[in-house]
Amino acid sequence: MTDAPSTGGRLSTRLAGVLPTLRLRLVVVFALVALTAAVSASGIAYWLNRDAVLTRAQNASLNDFRKAMEDNAGNLPRKLSCQELREAAAKMARSSQNYQVLLIDRAEDGKTCATASNEDDFTLADVPPQLRKAVAKKRTVDEKNKHPYHLYWQRITLDGDPYLVGGAKVVGDEPTPTGYLLKSLGPERDDLNSLAWSLGIATALALIGAMLLAQAAATTVLRPVRRLGDAARRLGEGKLETRLRVSGTDELAQLSRTFNDAAASLEQRVAELSAREASSRRFVADMSHELRTPMTAISAVTEVLEEEQENLDPMIAPAVQLVVSETRRLNDLVENLMEVTRFDAGTAKLVLDDVDVADQVTACIDARAWLDAVELDADRGIMAQLDPRRLDVILANLIGNALKHGGSPVRVSVRTRRREDGAGVAGGGDELVIEVADQGPGIPEDVLPHVFDRFYKASASRPRSEGSGLGLSIAMENAHIHGGEITAHNAPDGERGAVFTLRLPRDARRIAEERESGDGHADEHADEGGSDPGGDARRSDGRDQEGGR
Amino acid sequence: MARVPFLLLIEDDDAVRTALEMGLTRQGHRVVTAASGEDGLKLLREQRPDLIVLDVMLPGIDGFEVCRRIRRTDQLPIILLTARSDDIDVVVGLESGADDYVVKPVQGRVLDARIRAVMRRGERESNDSATFGSLVIDRSAMTVTKNGEDLQLTPTELRLLLELSRRPGQALSRQQLLRLVWEHDYLGDSRLVDACVQRLRAKVEDVPSSPTLIRTVRGVGYRLDVPQ
Repeated sequence: MTDAPSTGGRLSTRLAGVLPTLRLRLVVVFALVALTAAVSASGIAYWLNRDAVLTRAQNASLNDFRKAMEDNAGNLPRKLSCQELREAAAKMARSSQNYQVLLIDRAEDGKTCATASNEDDFTLADVPPQLRKAVAKKRTVDEKNKHPYHLYWQRITLDGDPYLVGGAKVVGDEPTPTGYLLKSLGPERDDLNSLAWSLGIATALALIGAMLLAQAAATTVLRPVRRLGDAARRLGEGKLETRLRVSGTDELAQLSRTFNDAAASLEQRVAELSAREASSRRFVADMSHELRTPMTAISAVTEVLEEEQENLDPMIAPAVQLVVSETRRLNDLVENLMEVTRFDAGTAKLVLDDVDVADQVTACIDARAWLDAVELDADRGIMAQLDPRRLDVILANLIGNALKHGGSPVRVSVRTRRREDGAGVAGGGDELVIEVADQGPGIPEDVLPHVFDRFYKASASRPRSEGSGLGLSIAMENAHIHGGEITAHNAPDGERGAVFTLRLPRDARRIAEERESGDGHADEHADEGGSDPGGDARRSDGRDQEGGR
Repeated sequence: MARVPFLLLIEDDDAVRTALEMGLTRQGHRVVTAASGEDGLKLLREQRPDLIVLDVMLPGIDGFEVCRRIRRTDQLPIILLTARSDDIDVVVGLESGADDYVVKPVQGRVLDARIRAVMRRGERESNDSATFGSLVIDRSAMTVTKNGEDLQLTPTELRLLLELSRRPGQALSRQQLLRLVWEHDYLGDSRLVDACVQRLRAKVEDVPSSPTLIRTVRGVGYRLDVPQ
């Protein structure tokens, strides 16, 4: 939508930027529509009215004036005095139309005489020059134009008040008098003003009404939208049984119905998938479990065979040796497979203890007779809260892998580091960093991303040496369950070998608690009872602590 | 020369039973076997073995139940043979009174080492006694009395108490205790210690839920306190 090239898209994007909520947008659009409609309707009404009112007033005055001119000015004697002219003007002004009159004529003494019905209010100066010019202009008489002089009018403003000024020259033998009228349009203006006010108020009311309407519309539209949003969020949180109540047949009801259908099919799909996954996991778990019983018998007997090797026929001894070694390998494989299935099923649990990390690393190396092949760089006294068995599994796999592929000496270093992102519970911000570096050729770049994959073989042609192909992936899972991580990279230039870096939180208690509270659903597979040793022990620990102080 | 340990092996799978019997016999143990929990309990009464190796998955009454029934009357060492090392099994096993556990497929050498370690726990070593409040530990007779009454402790519980009582007031870490009591050379399961401490508290403390003798030292382990 945002990168749609259409102007409409860009416009709506910009609109969305300025008006972030749908409600606001609806209100604004409704208001704009109402405003446009009301303003144009009022405007048209006002102009029509204004025209009608003014024209009527004008016409009445002008007709009256014309008649008065004909009746009075037309009948004036050729030679008249200014006084007579004034009387004529006063007579004309006495009309019902209530205007003032100015008459101009050449008096008997040859001077031009301009007299008004009320000379204080109306003088020749009030008449615009172009009107005077138009009135005085003599036209040629032909078929279309029957009179040499016409009646002209103009609307003017004097001292802020609107007036109508009209003028005409009496047709006849020259010189004929010229008459002007001045009519106040004040009453009309007042009428029009009050009309404008009413129209303005009506517009404002329409605007408010439209906004209220928009609010109501937004509410009716947005309530289902919000319900839909809530439902979608719940669905996203994994509550697949979420459904909407469908009422009505409008588009939103249709949308709700579509949502419900989607949720239902999603739920069904997820149920199918998890059933399939559970059954395949159960299969692997059952299978490795079933393998254990015969493996136990075979292992026990194999040891008997191994001890008897010297006494065996030299022809048979190598066969026995092979059985013994392969049995051990198979044993490891089953062992690792079991471990993996526990992680997959989510039944793997942390058994935490306070341990001295250097001691643990030493014990791990010592137990596997690796003391000569490993250089350990670790200070004693680095205490950590972790699962010692799992740490041992991680270390054994990392060091074993290093010895196998990189050759000795393998360097193991233990450090602690403050974690930058450490949202610290007491001591929880600290991180344990254990590096295992070998002296080998390093790991090819294309293999590096896959070293933790299960059963990953660097090349199809290269036979997998002893080792189940699960070691590093199990090490990784064991780090994850602690809330830690293992990364692999090659040593920087100038040095040889691969470096595996294990990062573990120094205090895994918080992780363990989160796991226990968080994976309730995973525990469904972990069958009966559900008594929780770690939890119990920890709880009683806490109680002891209080009692001890 | 210690006498030849006499073991009762309760295991329903014929092949496993035969193979383990063969292996254990070669390690110098005397072994009787039973194919079910009921048979095992009968043999226990008749033959009085020194130690029981008990499979968890048994037809009829399972290993945990056998364990519980044995503990009602006897304090002899029990080693669980668990096919699933699923943590829940281990925990239930330890709660029902087992002294140690091994996970199938088990190597005969490991099982032998565990058996010998468990057997050694009952051996006396010094001839003194210690008193902790109402609790009297007689190291020569290998008995513990509370308010003059004999306490029925398994060898493991007794050894745990002895190790703690040898360093009164000093905290011992779970890993230390695993080495001292269980002789797990390294990386033992600390839940063994926790479970055993719980069982021991149930027997020696006045109020097991608020212990005054065997105290938890947070971040370290356990210590035995001398009451004031």
